[in-house]
Amino acid sequence: MASSTIPTHYPQLIDPTRTPLAFQRLAVPRLRRELESTTLLTRQRALRSLCDYLHDPEHITPCIEQGIPGTLVSILKDNDSFCRLKAAECYYVIASHAIGRRAMEMGDVISRLSELFDDKEASVRRNVHRAIAMYAEAPPGAENIIELKLIPNLLTKLTAELDEIKEIILNTLHYCLMIDKEQALEANCMSVLTNLLTHPTTKIKTLAALDIFHLSLALKGKEQAVDLGTIDHLVEFLDSESDELRSKAAVALASIAIITPAKYCAIKAGALSKLLDMLDSETTELIVNALKAIVCLAEAPEGRKQLLDHIDKIEPYKNHRLPNVAKQAQIAAKIITWQP
Amino acid sequence: MATTIVKPPNSTYTFSSQPKAVQQRKKYREPTIGLQDEMGNFGNIMYDRRIIRGNTYALHTLPAHAQPDPIELQRQQEAKRRALARRKAREQLRTRTPEPVHGRKHIDVQTELYLEELSDRIEEADVEIQTDAFLDRPPSPLFIPQKTGKDITTQIEAGDLFDFDLEVKPIVETLTGKTLEQALIEVAEEEELAEIREQQREYEEMRNAEMIELQRLEEQERRLRAEKERRMKQAKDALQLEQEIQQKIAARAFAKSYLQDLVPSVFNNLRENGYFYDPVEHEIEISFMPWLMDRTMKQVNQLVMGRTLLDSIIRDVVSRRTDDYEKLEDILRQTILSGVDMGTSTGDQQQPIIEDEQQQNESDINANAAINEEAEEREDEQIPEEEAEH
Repeated sequence: MASSTIPTHYPQLIDPTRTPLAFQRLAVPRLRRELESTTLLTRQRALRSLCDYLHDPEHITPCIEQGIPGTLVSILKDNDSFCRLKAAECYYVIASHAIGRRAMEMGDVISRLSELFDDKEASVRRNVHRAIAMYAEAPPGAENIIELKLIPNLLTKLTAELDEIKEIILNTLHYCLMIDKEQALEANCMSVLTNLLTHPTTKIKTLAALDIFHLSLALKGKEQAVDLGTIDHLVEFLDSESDELRSKAAVALASIAIITPAKYCAIKAGALSKLLDMLDSETTELIVNALKAIVCLAEAPEGRKQLLDHIDKIEPYKNHRLPNVAKQAQIAAKIITWQP
Repeated sequence: MATTIVKPPNSTYTFSSQPKAVQQRKKYREPTIGLQDEMGNFGNIMYDRRIIRGNTYALHTLPAHAQPDPIELQRQQEAKRRALARRKAREQLRTRTPEPVHGRKHIDVQTELYLEELSDRIEEADVEIQTDAFLDRPPSPLFIPQKTGKDITTQIEAGDLFDFDLEVKPIVETLTGKTLEQALIEVAEEEELAEIREQQREYEEMRNAEMIELQRLEEQERRLRAEKERRMKQAKDALQLEQEIQQKIAARAFAKSYLQDLVPSVFNNLRENGYFYDPVEHEIEISFMPWLMDRTMKQVNQLVMGRTLLDSIIRDVVSRRTDDYEKLEDILRQTILSGVDMGTSTGDQQQPIIEDEQQQNESDINANAAINEEAEEREDEQIPEEEAEH
């Protein structure tokens, strides 16, 4: 009779697309040896196994100690697109760990990955961008990307790539812009993002609005936003279906409306009534962002005059259970009722 | 029972080797090369066939005599015969194939995969037939080498063999288990990421709000400062203007007060300096006084001329008198000289001459005094004239 104990490994050759893993600590050296093999099939099988193997956080450290990231760099230049695809995916998994990101920074992996931006296989490009987005998620990674001056490159890709990849690039930009805005502003980022605001996909519009927010925290960004007419697009989004888009549009509008010309632009575009409608929603993020935008617009005398009639809409939030919302509501009420 | 399963050639273990005897460990290094092959021949005595192990009573040794025992031979033959008979009996006992139906008969056929000529059969009849020529030569059959070696059979009981329904269970369990495990790991990873993103979103919500608040306050501060500067500049300008006006007023007042007594002082000065004069006096000074002076000078010149003339006359007279007195002296001397010569001298005559000379001197002194008086008079006249000019 067959025993009921379940072995901890697959039966041999049960999956011809994967290399069987060696036992315990011998697994990584064997995978590494096979990754360096000259036979295409061996490499592909090893890469598939490695991809699954890396998902367990316990396996990241031995892989990095044995120099797997360095081995993968050479596979990034492989002629076979499947190998490149899987290598980029491995980097994506590695980049989700702090030690992995550090190892990638030491091995100068990002510049190699960025060479694959022009790969002819869309799936390879997608995986590369996913790996870079994951890498940029932590501030040191984003700083490294800025040091490598990848932002202009990413922006040119943003105009030409597939929608799915655009989303990933916008995410990467989001993290990078939190660190540094100068490079992006010099590369004419604001006009690219403003063009993306007319994109049909809501997700892309949301991410573009978020990036515009980060970009317009710099004074130059605000001025560009006023010149390029970004405000009109953002005001349009304030009554869209998606909560996410409304929220990001509001926060972007708030950050642009710090300067006086932007305030008048927004008021002229009819942002105030839409922002007041947003206060009725449930999401706290939406309420906070709408309150911020209202505060910024209330600084202009015209805005204050209009808002004084609707102060009762803000009053209930002054005692909100979340301290953040309550604080912003109090600030808003104070600004609106301010008298010279 | 699981142990009886025949493992696939590539089993779980990656290493396999033929079983072999444990190599004897050498305690020392081999000292010489000549000893080496001798040492190699030594084997393990446990497996040496020449060495007797176990009970020596049961030992099967060859008999000492070479001739086989006839009784033993007979027994062997009998046993052989008995075995043959048993086999025949068993063959008869065996259930046989049923009889063929009418018109048919059983025939031996080969059922093996590869047909071979049965060479052990004795030919019974020769029949010749002519077949058609082969249309096409069929492809040469794959060469299968003839089987060699002994055949070994194994008794297999029911249930001994691989039962798929039973055996597949652990394999499927492993497969599903591993797949689920991998999937769970990935799901956990994604959930963790989603959790991190959610936290990040919440953090960013607050951060963004604070960032905007910060910038708003900065902007407000900037505006207030600009306003303040503007106000201050305005106030400063106003103050400066006021000061200027005050200075102007002060300057005007000063100028006024300064100029107030300018006219009288100028008049005073002018008056003091004699720019305002009497026309009569001026006329007297301009035309009368020169005339007066002219006339006075003429008068004085005439006087001087008269005196000069007088002086020259006096000088003439005096020089003539001197000549006369010299002539007289000469005469006198000659007379004296002549008197001496005569012998009598007249001392009385000499005395009057000396008196004359004294008179003459007195008159000269008088004339000089008169001239001096005239000069003094003239000077006295001139002094008032000068005083009048001033």
